[in-house]
Amino acid sequence: MKRNVAIIGGGQTHHAARRHDVNQVEMVNEAVRAALSDARTTIDEIDAVLVGNMEFFEGCHMTDCWLVDGTGAYGKPGLKITTGGTVGATIVCAGVHHVASGLFDRVLCVGFEKQEEGDTGAILSGVAHPLFGRSMAGAAVGYFAMMATSYMAAWGAKEEHSAMVAVKARQNARKNEYAHLKLDINIQDVLNSRMLAYPIRMLDMCPASNGACAIILADETTAKDRCEKPVWIRAMDTAHNEQFELDWRDVTTQKSIFSRVSAARIYKRLGVNKPTDYFDVFEIYEPATWAEMVWYEDLGLCGPGEGFKLIENNKTGIDGPIPVNPSGGILSTNCIGASAMLRVWEAALQIRGDAGGHQVPKEVRRALATAYGGTNWTVLTALSRNIDD
Amino acid sequence: MGLVEYEQELISIPVIVDVPYRFAAGKYMTKFLTELRDNGRFFGIRCPICNRVQLPPRVVCAVCHVKNREWVELSCQGTLVGFTIMYLPLTDPTTGKPHEPPFSYGSVRLDGSDSVIDHFLNVEPDVQKISVGMRMKAVFKPREQRVGDLSDILHFDPIPE
Repeated sequence: MKRNVAIIGGGQTHHAARRHDVNQVEMVNEAVRAALSDARTTIDEIDAVLVGNMEFFEGCHMTDCWLVDGTGAYGKPGLKITTGGTVGATIVCAGVHHVASGLFDRVLCVGFEKQEEGDTGAILSGVAHPLFGRSMAGAAVGYFAMMATSYMAAWGAKEEHSAMVAVKARQNARKNEYAHLKLDINIQDVLNSRMLAYPIRMLDMCPASNGACAIILADETTAKDRCEKPVWIRAMDTAHNEQFELDWRDVTTQKSIFSRVSAARIYKRLGVNKPTDYFDVFEIYEPATWAEMVWYEDLGLCGPGEGFKLIENNKTGIDGPIPVNPSGGILSTNCIGASAMLRVWEAALQIRGDAGGHQVPKEVRRALATAYGGTNWTVLTALSRNIDD
Repeated sequence: MGLVEYEQELISIPVIVDVPYRFAAGKYMTKFLTELRDNGRFFGIRCPICNRVQLPPRVVCAVCHVKNREWVELSCQGTLVGFTIMYLPLTDPTTGKPHEPPFSYGSVRLDGSDSVIDHFLNVEPDVQKISVGMRMKAVFKPREQRVGDLSDILHFDPIPE
């Protein structure tokens, strides 16, 4: 990158299924104020505001215009970004590019979703191609259910493995004051929960959350000048998939699919040989339990077909050797336009040592955050505590 | 002038938006759909470089960046590569009406194709009766009921072993 870029502050709302007490502007403003306060700055010092959500979920378009009072974007340069589940990370990626290029020194990134205001399931079916398979589009749950049957058939994983991921997420969420689903559940609770789309049960799936996240990015001079614990963006990478092809739903595919392509590129750029040694914590985008196991494999945390063994052996627990989603992840909180930004922010909090109850009990120097969006692409963000690391 | 009290009544207003769309299929997709409608046949398109037979047919191979020109008739039979049994009454975005749960659907790789097609499976929604790797056969609606979209396929039937 032309200039180094750091996260100098951030914030989030308390995520919940119901937020009738606020409208979209007011909810977004909660995260913006938290981020400005965390960065010990004011909106007057912000050069540009980038905002995003999946506006067709709420059916209220032009959110960059309607939300100006809440984001603080009035009179400032900025733009809106809408890229599916990746939204939040795409906003950060665009913000990083704007700062790295020298165009701005301080950029405020805001991602949010108020899922209760629309019918996300119905609208998500509209993500499918209009002429090829949309009739069958079973929201996100149908997609991940097909991934799950493929995974089970190929590698011999059981519903119990999925349940282990579900339990880990919600038990971690109980340690995160901002998480939505803080559930004291065990494997049997998951296996007893209502079947949505075989083999995915209620507790195997992410919730529909309302919430927002905001991150403030700055150039090196500003960051060193103004911030005690800047978190450096070391590298970012994005990759799209070939459309209409099986991608993640055929877990045995040999094709160069988005997740593996992007991971290989970012690892090469950073000189990563063994990601489990290089990174101290991972915050990944797992809308369903099975997606977490596929991410393990595609990020190279284990070999192909070994993801379910990683969870079986408790390697990815908050105190395990490869902590994945100590925050509780998407399975515990999914306010879509904020979700991928929350991965980046949670990774930054771990590096700062400010994650509170869900801080992993080891030194965190580097972290990797992933995003995932329909129809199959990712944004990866590698962060570090030291600028040269 | 007083501050707004948190305990006040909170209003949320329901709004229903009914939006019709109309999508152009393009030349290649139109060929695929007219063959489906008029002849009950599947046609894929082969890339001259990588030789993958792609569905739905598209003008350019995404991997090789060359124009796809060779039409290939595919079998109506194929192999199930993934499936689910849906227990939610999800809205069908093409009709605005929900499918009646439970129902099974899946991805079938037609013989001769490198891609898959998603459709309903005419199998009892029982996990003991569906499995990845099962052989399936497309069943079409009667000719006079076909309209030139994927609903011309009724479902996939399992082929008895």
